[in-house]
Amino acid sequence: MAPLPLEGIRVADFSWIINGPQIAQWLATMGAEVIKIESQVYIDIGRINPAGMADGKPGPNRNGFYHMLNYGKKAINLNLGTPKGYDLACDLIRKSDLVIECFPRPVSERLNLTYARIKAVKPDIVMISVSLLGKTGTEPSSWVGWGPMACCFAGMFDAQGYPGGPPRQTGGTWPDYAIASAVVFHTLAALRHRKRTGEGQWIDASMGETVISQMNEWFMDYFMNHRDRGQWGNRDAMMAPHNTYKCKGEDRWIAIAVSNDAEWNALCAVALHPEWARDARFVDRAARLNHREEIDALLRDWTRSHDHRELAATLQRVGVPAGPVLDSVELHEDSHLWKWGYWMKMAHHEVGERIIPGMPVKMSNVPELNYSMPPDVGQHNREIFGGLLGLSDAEIQTLMEQKVIY
Amino acid sequence: MPVQTRTVSAMCGVALTIGSQRRAMSGALDDIKVIEYAEMVSGPICGKMFSDLGAEVIKIEAPGAGDPARQYPPFPDDQPHPEKSGMFLYLNTGKKSLTLDPATPAGGEVFKRLISKADFLIENHPAGFLERIGLPYPALHALNPRLIVVSITPFGQTGPYRDWKGSDLIEWAMSLTGYNTPTLIDDGERENPLRAPGHIADMMGGTNAAAAAMMALFQRELTGDGQWIDAPCWQATVNTSKIEMAAYSYLGIPFSRMRGQTLVGLEPMACRDGYVYTLWAADSHYQALKKLLGNPDGLDTELFDTLAGRQQNDDVLRLVIREELKKHDMKYLVDEGQKLGLTIGPVYKVSQAANHPHLAARDAFVAIEHPVAGRFLFPRQMVSMTATPAIPSRAPMLGEHNKEILDRLAIPREDQHGLHAAGVI
Repeated sequence: MAPLPLEGIRVADFSWIINGPQIAQWLATMGAEVIKIESQVYIDIGRINPAGMADGKPGPNRNGFYHMLNYGKKAINLNLGTPKGYDLACDLIRKSDLVIECFPRPVSERLNLTYARIKAVKPDIVMISVSLLGKTGTEPSSWVGWGPMACCFAGMFDAQGYPGGPPRQTGGTWPDYAIASAVVFHTLAALRHRKRTGEGQWIDASMGETVISQMNEWFMDYFMNHRDRGQWGNRDAMMAPHNTYKCKGEDRWIAIAVSNDAEWNALCAVALHPEWARDARFVDRAARLNHREEIDALLRDWTRSHDHRELAATLQRVGVPAGPVLDSVELHEDSHLWKWGYWMKMAHHEVGERIIPGMPVKMSNVPELNYSMPPDVGQHNREIFGGLLGLSDAEIQTLMEQKVIY
Repeated sequence: MPVQTRTVSAMCGVALTIGSQRRAMSGALDDIKVIEYAEMVSGPICGKMFSDLGAEVIKIEAPGAGDPARQYPPFPDDQPHPEKSGMFLYLNTGKKSLTLDPATPAGGEVFKRLISKADFLIENHPAGFLERIGLPYPALHALNPRLIVVSITPFGQTGPYRDWKGSDLIEWAMSLTGYNTPTLIDDGERENPLRAPGHIADMMGGTNAAAAAMMALFQRELTGDGQWIDAPCWQATVNTSKIEMAAYSYLGIPFSRMRGQTLVGLEPMACRDGYVYTLWAADSHYQALKKLLGNPDGLDTELFDTLAGRQQNDDVLRLVIREELKKHDMKYLVDEGQKLGLTIGPVYKVSQAANHPHLAARDAFVAIEHPVAGRFLFPRQMVSMTATPAIPSRAPMLGEHNKEILDRLAIPREDQHGLHAAGVI
């Protein structure tokens, strides 16, 4: 079998919670040796978040939130607050190609995990820092926050919501995942640059800047026309109908996005309303864009008596872009996600068999990614401190007692 | 509002001529050649990530109208023009444009010559399309065994939804992150799920594809072999809801977007001169918020001192906090709240973000001159790098590089005229 893409690359991973671990997971599943440095002093929130504890029982090795973001990695314990702990971290960094950290700037500084310090330890290191708004610049570089706060700063929440209503939150922590794959791309470019020139560098990633890139249409509108575009709801510049519509059942919806006459005519046939297709208000794309509210009203009346999944499948069969809004049960049972290979079953020694997500890409020369079990707390202490850094069992034992390996 | 213009030279330490398509410093990928046979958002953002780091990206556009993104707003003064779409100009920085129809026999031949010398083919046509026009992956691989083909689709190359039509709205709405937008609703009948501002699902699919493409480049160093990447936008979006997945798979708690499930803030809340966003899950955050608000009487109860207490009394607590926030300015709340260790942020308008000194200090925007569209600021970087930063230069005009590229392929001028007359280029 072909070697995994990142075989031979070692990562000293000081990150926690979501964005750093998701970056490290891309690298680990693709074959890099990712050594996750954890500490009992500040335990990864992923290990203790109540919403992920298997069957509600606490235990740092039982958390689904951690499992889903940390498979493929090794985990060691190290108390960076102790001088010896920091020395050992430096030893590990000297043997690594990449360093990852995602602390707020004041914490990175307190832990001596700044690029200047790491570069002094290993001059050609490629270091990844991920933060809310970047670690250089003005005061916001010291802010604490998480994915959604990058959206609120970048103007996304102000542009999110029903037209004319108050600002609303865009769902979940997607900026953490969006920045992760962007960072992976830039990191591999940096490693390639290092291979060619010997020069390392600092990747100072700002979730705010990733969000700005993702909503570039709003920024370009401002730069071109000096205005705030505001909330568009589900309106699209080129498509109508283009919305989510209520279906049968509690909080059930279908998304429909029609871009041309053929799709519109097919929709009208499925709806048993051929007269809509002949209606002068809806006869071509320009007409439909001008009468989008009327179309929405007609579609709402029609969809509400239908099952969201059946109706989407029916529309897709005749070439109309549509999709059901899926709940947790439907998503975890979705036959496409199983057959494509997104969901996996993991048999874990503490929590038994669980459904967990695999990586969201497939590569023809990588039939099997590194999906090794998410590590228990300190699982690889002996392998890394003994094998890689050459400490004796007795030394490791002493360091554990001194709460350095802790 | 005046727009501040900056250049990237401060960051790079090298003079740059952004308006031309010439770059003054080498990028991390300046030896890489990419053919982008893709349109709208998901494929082009992937190609942009390559071109901004120095790769040569030849964008194949349909003869005549070109990439449909050229019709997509915003436009200066709202006047549609195929060389002035803000979205197109952003997504296609630094590329070369070749008008070509690879589905025609003559166009297919030119296409094959292009990819025989390329490192990557990025495409976002429906699954099976390349096969239907006589360019299936095995044929491409036979032609150039080192070629890495990056296919970006709504749902992927296999599985029951393979042939479903997608769009950004659909790929977003079918994920729990999309279902959860907007977050915290009161009325499950009227508050329908919303798309995020922009094409987030398409952008994430294209970004995942770029990450996988670089993995394939590393693997090619080890094996000498190219490969085929399957990067779906829906799976990219689904993958952003691991908190909700863990709650279901490990605890059996299904996701609900109704208020009453998530009880610790999580919504923009009005202050005196705008909105702020915060949460008060951790005890330390709640205590910081209390202090920030001046220990108001309404919070003077032990009822709220524990997470369980705050959750049980969420309706009362939320009302008190809403009223108290209205007494303060955004700047006070954010600056002082952050000093107290509270995760609190300003809900800025795009205009406020675009003019924020922090983003200016990071050179987050760069002015780019275009011969038809004019000179505008653009978001500069997705991710910042110190040694090989992203350097976006202007997007190409439709077919601007036809002659240059066909000459390079040694296609005689008279044949070029023939291809043009036949509508192939």
